[in-house]
Amino acid sequence: MNKTTLKAVLVLIALAVLLAVPKYVESPYALHMMILLFLSVTMGQSWNILGGYAGQHSVGHAAYFGVGAYTTMMLMHAKQIAPWYGVWIGIALVVVVALAIGSICFRLRGPYFVLASIAVAEILRLSAINLTTLTNGAEGILATELPAFKIGETVVTDFSTKVPFYYIGLFLIVLTIAITYLVQHSKLGYFFQAIREDQDAAHSLGISISLYKNIALVISAVLTSLAGSFYGIYVGFVDPPTVLGLDVSVQIMLICIIGGMGTLWGPMLGSLVLVPLSEALRSNMITEALVKVGMVNAESKVGIFLKENLSHAHVLLYGILVVLVILFMPDGLMGFVKKLALRRKREAI
Amino acid sequence: MAILEIKNVSKFFGGLAANSDVSFSVEEGSIMGLIGPNGAGKTTLFNCITGYYPPSKGEIFFDGRRMNGLEPDKVCMLGMVRTWQKVRPLAKLSVVDNVMVGALARTWSLKTAREMALEQLKVVRMEHRADFLAGGLPIGERKKLEVARALATQPKILLLDEVMGGLNPAESEEIIQLILDIKKRGLTQMVIEHDMKAIMRISDRIVVLNSGEKLTEGSPQEVVNNPDVISAYLGESHA
Repeated sequence: MNKTTLKAVLVLIALAVLLAVPKYVESPYALHMMILLFLSVTMGQSWNILGGYAGQHSVGHAAYFGVGAYTTMMLMHAKQIAPWYGVWIGIALVVVVALAIGSICFRLRGPYFVLASIAVAEILRLSAINLTTLTNGAEGILATELPAFKIGETVVTDFSTKVPFYYIGLFLIVLTIAITYLVQHSKLGYFFQAIREDQDAAHSLGISISLYKNIALVISAVLTSLAGSFYGIYVGFVDPPTVLGLDVSVQIMLICIIGGMGTLWGPMLGSLVLVPLSEALRSNMITEALVKVGMVNAESKVGIFLKENLSHAHVLLYGILVVLVILFMPDGLMGFVKKLALRRKREAI
Repeated sequence: MAILEIKNVSKFFGGLAANSDVSFSVEEGSIMGLIGPNGAGKTTLFNCITGYYPPSKGEIFFDGRRMNGLEPDKVCMLGMVRTWQKVRPLAKLSVVDNVMVGALARTWSLKTAREMALEQLKVVRMEHRADFLAGGLPIGERKKLEVARALATQPKILLLDEVMGGLNPAESEEIIQLILDIKKRGLTQMVIEHDMKAIMRISDRIVVLNSGEKLTEGSPQEVVNNPDVISAYLGESHA
């Protein structure tokens, strides 16, 4: 069996296992964690196409995430349009937004592009806060009642459990990974990477820089908006900071930086680190664990301090993580794994 | 027949005239040498011709078509491609992938592009390096990679910017043979070079630039005996 078929078989086995999970796992919390993981992989992989392959490090992906989430939620809340129709309107809107942003920001290179991308996302966040008639402002939109999904007259699901969300999430990661694979193995992937490595050289080789940057942006933005729509209907609530905030953009990027930019499995690895970590911090699991092993007394000053503050420390921890990755694994976890594999190969010879 | 015509091209950067009123034409299938002391405006002229700078004045015709204002990618698609004085390998891509990027200008199929790329790697005798990372190559092979990548776009004219710069004599000799091989296949070339011996051997005609202006033009023999050229390179006392 050669390497490609082996990989394909492994992927199919993993997919079969993931498809079977809800049959055997009943804990809503476990399913919830899996859904968060799927969401994270989808977001990271979407950014990866623009940031990892085409090398345009957008720190404004919250714009696309938020537009997707808000469109779907607004249509459902105000017009009673079911999300599986609203999603398409969200995608159409995101394409328009992406092309508008692209035509302005892609005139800039490097750090200036980064600043412009942040600015655009902030404009959208502030608009969402202030256009109260449209977005309900800072209060956000609450819409937890999902209409049942029917094909003809048969009800496929009424969304009363987490299982349908699990399968939607699974579908999203399969979709984004498949699209990334197709991009990587096509003319697009080569052109994106050429632009990343050297824009002027790429230009001289017949690559229209603005065309291909915009193609990368549109693919990336559409997938990000799908993730946003999914987040909206899953959580049932959107407000400006949670879907349009700067930390959303940063988190999307971190998944790739930690996992490995411009690799197919990098966002998966990054999510496997970040999602459990942020969950452990949020639910104060780390403090509890420290107390359990006896390193910290729960009643002592240190214990109380940790309990009160560690759950808010995820941003600090992200910062430390990024520093560590940049120092020790500049190509992310995926680069680190590849390097280890290469070293083992050399030692074998 | 002239494939490339440069008519009264000037390029100003603020008050500085990097090129002023430069005119010449390049015959199809020939090798045109472009020489001049440092700062004479050779690379600026390349940038004007290939669409990186719009010329401030004058016109450029390629294959009978006016090129002013065309973006570099359009210029490449029309059949004019350049290499870079400071080499620009796509460092994290393999050697064959680098050349494939060039070939993909002409095809959508990765399989065809790969075949085209391997063919060009054979031309520059680098097929054994196909799977190496471009960023890890020594300078001599980076220069040859630039040429292979440019050739893969299937140009009608190839503009080489100091492709022998920084090479040892053996490597330079290899590049000279490569340029002559390419000429045999009927491809027009324009070559910027500092190595006078090399440029004398390969060029059919030579244009000399000095301080942005065209000093003279002629066969290698005519140019090398021209007192203006000698004084531009060596100072008045030698002329």
